[in-house]
Amino acid sequence: MAEEKAASTEQKEMEERALSVFASERKEDLTALIIAFALALLVIFTLK
Amino acid sequence: MNGDKRSPAALIIGLILLIYGLVLKRHDAAIPPGYLLDVATYLKTTKEVVTQFSVAIWSGAIITFFGLWNLAMPSMNSKFDKMVRTPIAGVGTIIFLAFITRYYLEPIFKVWGKNAEPNLGFDFAATFGLNYILLGIVIGIIWVNTIGIPKWMQSGVKTARLAMKMGVISLGAMYSLTELRYMGSLSIVMVAVFVLGTVLFVLLLGRIMKTPRPLTGVLSAGLGVCGVSAAVAAAPVVKARGIDMAYSIGMLLLVGVVGLFTFPTIGRMVGMNELQFGAWAGTGILNSAQVAAAALIFDPKTIETLKVAEIFNITRILFLPVIVIVLAIWFAKGEEEAEVGKINIGRVLVEKFPIFVIGFILMFAFSSTGIFTPKNYELHGKNFYNFVPEEKKEVRTRDLKKVQELIDSGNVTNPEVRAAVEKLIADRQVTTTAQTDLVLKASDFTDDKKLKDIFKDADKKVQATPPTIKMMREYMMWFFAFGLIGLGMQITWQTIRQAGGKAAVIGVIAGFTKAALSFLICWLFIKGTI
Repeated sequence: MAEEKAASTEQKEMEERALSVFASERKEDLTALIIAFALALLVIFTLK
Repeated sequence: MNGDKRSPAALIIGLILLIYGLVLKRHDAAIPPGYLLDVATYLKTTKEVVTQFSVAIWSGAIITFFGLWNLAMPSMNSKFDKMVRTPIAGVGTIIFLAFITRYYLEPIFKVWGKNAEPNLGFDFAATFGLNYILLGIVIGIIWVNTIGIPKWMQSGVKTARLAMKMGVISLGAMYSLTELRYMGSLSIVMVAVFVLGTVLFVLLLGRIMKTPRPLTGVLSAGLGVCGVSAAVAAAPVVKARGIDMAYSIGMLLLVGVVGLFTFPTIGRMVGMNELQFGAWAGTGILNSAQVAAAALIFDPKTIETLKVAEIFNITRILFLPVIVIVLAIWFAKGEEEAEVGKINIGRVLVEKFPIFVIGFILMFAFSSTGIFTPKNYELHGKNFYNFVPEEKKEVRTRDLKKVQELIDSGNVTNPEVRAAVEKLIADRQVTTTAQTDLVLKASDFTDDKKLKDIFKDADKKVQATPPTIKMMREYMMWFFAFGLIGLGMQITWQTIRQAGGKAAVIGVIAGFTKAALSFLICWLFIKGTI
């Protein structure tokens, strides 16, 4: 019984960890895009 | 700093960096104090003192500022706090580790490797590629699996993936149309064969081993396309559950980590060049982040291998929509109820397609307009040419004599090429973009390797890397170094342990087959360079 409960808790943890990958990837991509372009523009304005 | 607690971690790290920078500055930016100069001389890092100084001062000042702010007023739930103030302690720690690894650990291993060479018979640091990228990842792995990630570091470590994506987008500025055309056509053929081949192979293995269809589906996308992101994108169309994702992520990480450490050593041992290794890593390594890591471990000095590997990686990501559709059809065929019809494949594709790939393409387009090119430079596909006449750009007299002999032989039958080469002899250097292309074409009219090299050199002499691109390259390398240490910190034994049972068996069989076959193809059939 205890073993089953532990296994189920572990499975839940594994699922939660895996599902966290789903979250906010789109926002992260957009942030990366904005920062990369902002830096590129900064480089152009300061060095060109 | 994690919301309700005040942690001095960011302030301490910021101050260490700031003080280090100020100590370097004490006498002169380029001349460190005596003891540091001795260390720098021993480690052969004297040329990097100015970069060390600016990185330490800037990052130290920013981290100290936020460290003070966080200590005085704990970060709250605003967007800015979540995105900047909360992660700063973790971000600072990774920057600090990257700094130590790049300017101290790598040079120490280099010196040790050289010192041990007479006894061992080989330079162990060079053979195993113990550079700052590899050492950073290893430190990350050791850190997370021993002391663990304290609460104040957690949100900072999560920014590693963001940094990797910023690195890939910035890398878009480093390509030229010529390179992209050449590598793109090579990669499309290889990637198409390997992506589709692996997906079908995994679907077959799943059927033989009787794994649940959702698990087989996400495994095939992850193993076939680009790792975890592909598995995530395919999950909705194959109705994957959390547990299927957990097995897949664990397995992808397990096989990816093995690839990350073995690919560069094998590539170096068999003497692969940048094109061969980049193509192999971009095809054979499962996860996008590990592709970049392997390419940088193999060749941390130039970014040529990284450029090739990322083109292959980006090409396979572009195959993601095709694979999602293939999997949706495969899954629908196997389902008794036509439930899949309820899934809007178009929406899945739009929602899950990685935008950073579009960012990479946009950056390439942006750079192709010549926006990074300074005055007196002309952008022409691959290179930035500086056509202001200079003596150092001249071809040597004895080489020009050899070129003259070729013209006299009458072998150069194309009148345009002939005229361009004659102009090269007259001016002693290439002076226009059109001419440089024609001069390179002159190589086709001779088998003499020396002559071919002369034409290549004449072209190279008028190329130059503008300061804008140099700066972008420098911060791009920091993004990768940062991202890869953070990547190491996400490789936990606990996650790898998830890769149990049939998922691991399928992963190992498919991962190994893909790696071995792509190695053979790159090793035997890719002969050119970039």
